Amino acid sequence: MRYIFIFAGNSVLFIIILNNKIMQKKIILITLLITIQFYCQKENTIGSKLQTNAAEKLINTNLKKGLTIGGYAQIDYNQKESDNGILDVHRFVLLFGYKFSDKVQFVSEIEYENVKEVFVEQAFLNYTINDNMNLKAGLMLVPMGIINEYHEPTTFNGVERPSMDKSIVPTTWREIGVGVSGRFDDISLKYQAFIFNGFSSVNGTKVLGGSNGLRNGRQKGAKSTINTPTISIKIDYYGIAKLRLGISGYFGKTQPKDDVQNLIGADVGINMVGLDARYFNKKITARGQFIYTAISNTFAYNLANSAKLGSRLQGFYIETAYNLLPITKKQKLDAFVRYEKYDTHHKVATNIIKNQTHNRNEITFGLTYHIANGAVFKADYQIKNNAAKNTILKNQFNLGVGIFF
Amino acid sequence: MKKIQLIIILSTIFHLSFQIPKPLYKKVVKEIKTVFKTNQFSLHKIKISKEQKNNLKINTTTLFKIQNKNQLLGYAYVDKANSKVDKFDYLILLNTKLVILKTKILIYREDYGNEISSKRWLKQFIGLKTTDKIEYNINIDGISGATISAKSMTHAVAKALKKLQKLQKNNTL
Repeated sequence: MRYIFIFAGNSVLFIIILNNKIMQKKIILITLLITIQFYCQKENTIGSKLQTNAAEKLINTNLKKGLTIGGYAQIDYNQKESDNGILDVHRFVLLFGYKFSDKVQFVSEIEYENVKEVFVEQAFLNYTINDNMNLKAGLMLVPMGIINEYHEPTTFNGVERPSMDKSIVPTTWREIGVGVSGRFDDISLKYQAFIFNGFSSVNGTKVLGGSNGLRNGRQKGAKSTINTPTISIKIDYYGIAKLRLGISGYFGKTQPKDDVQNLIGADVGINMVGLDARYFNKKITARGQFIYTAISNTFAYNLANSAKLGSRLQGFYIETAYNLLPITKKQKLDAFVRYEKYDTHHKVATNIIKNQTHNRNEITFGLTYHIANGAVFKADYQIKNNAAKNTILKNQFNLGVGIFF
Repeated sequence: MKKIQLIIILSTIFHLSFQIPKPLYKKVVKEIKTVFKTNQFSLHKIKISKEQKNNLKINTTTLFKIQNKNQLLGYAYVDKANSKVDKFDYLILLNTKLVILKTKILIYREDYGNEISSKRWLKQFIGLKTTDKIEYNINIDGISGATISAKSMTHAVAKALKKLQKLQKNNTL
């Protein structure tokens, strides 16, 4: 495998010539012509001491007011075995924040997904009541597991997010709501508690269920229907050196439209709980996550909507990484391996047949090369399996670029 | 006696309020009282010549001597450092030999990375002195989910100790 990098001014031209022996074919790819404007690094020094960037020039931090601009992006190349590859500006997200005073801030993120789709990913007002409590209202991330909140490509290994963070936790999961967050320094505890709008029971023509569980129900704050609000809680504990533990919960019902809300099967109840852990010790990092979702009333829902929603969704992953470079270097080259197992038909109501293709496991291994604070190159290979008999899934090779500033 | 203590505290707060932003001074006084276990102290801005200020890049309003009458108790260093998109205020309290007694995040202005305010995490800096090398992820552990701010605070403390070392060598302290 050969890589050619051409640096020109503020741009990077990245050309890959790949000789892929695994697929027993000589594939020559002269692709991935990616021009990245590393425009926002205030200090070009690799691993600069602080994460400073041009955006911060816009904040006059000596003043109590200020505009913040930031963002993140991931540009991916996905190559399924024996298929044509896909090149995609998967996510390009711009962050705009405005500080009205030391206590009042507005935070927003505008997302371009797959170049063509535009979403508002976050838009909320934060009011700091005191050192221990913030009041938040607007479109916010639902705190569940690790990735939904920490989804910037430089913060996780692998070109793509863990698969269970698509099928079990429908990242990037956000809804409009109100709540509080804060911390207790003496006991190293962070808490979040929100009332959110819930999933739509039926989102346009899309019903819940199948391989992606609740994903179709995300309303994303777009003229979203509300009937009964849901509750979301997360507590993080970091009182043990090198370790961070999290427990999250989400409880409520889905939101039906007016015309069907009194019909049997118009909604389902969701009780989702998650446990997560992150470990960080010099060259070694590790993380894991377990999510369990119990869904009630799925028999009636599936019947009313011709859906195949499981009554229990469950998944977990464990991952470990080792930095191959000396710890004194400012760059990092993490070799990682992740195992995940997740099933959107862990249990089903009696009126549908359990689909074993939804019971999946994956091994992902690869490299994450942190070339600077906030800039990574990634490469990985994914071995995919499911529990269905006589099914062979195509493995996948991925390359990617990630930035976060 | 209590009246005298009250006068000293009030005069300290009044004195400080001209040099440290209002939201910070009460917190600084509270920490000094706790760490030095006394209510009887006064704070004096350390005067640094223009030349030293230029060479060392020290903001003269951030470094104070903590005294009980004429007896030196230690030093208080107040400054700002970067969090993800904002800045946070921190305090370093040192003894007369410039050994760190306590670090404290006085005001943290965003949700992201506020875990560095944890007492458990900040304890890592206690006992460090000007001759120590302080490096993130080597002798100071990070916190998952607060990497930017943890790096920033580590760097800020290391930088502060270097400045103090230079001032000590110049006999300014």
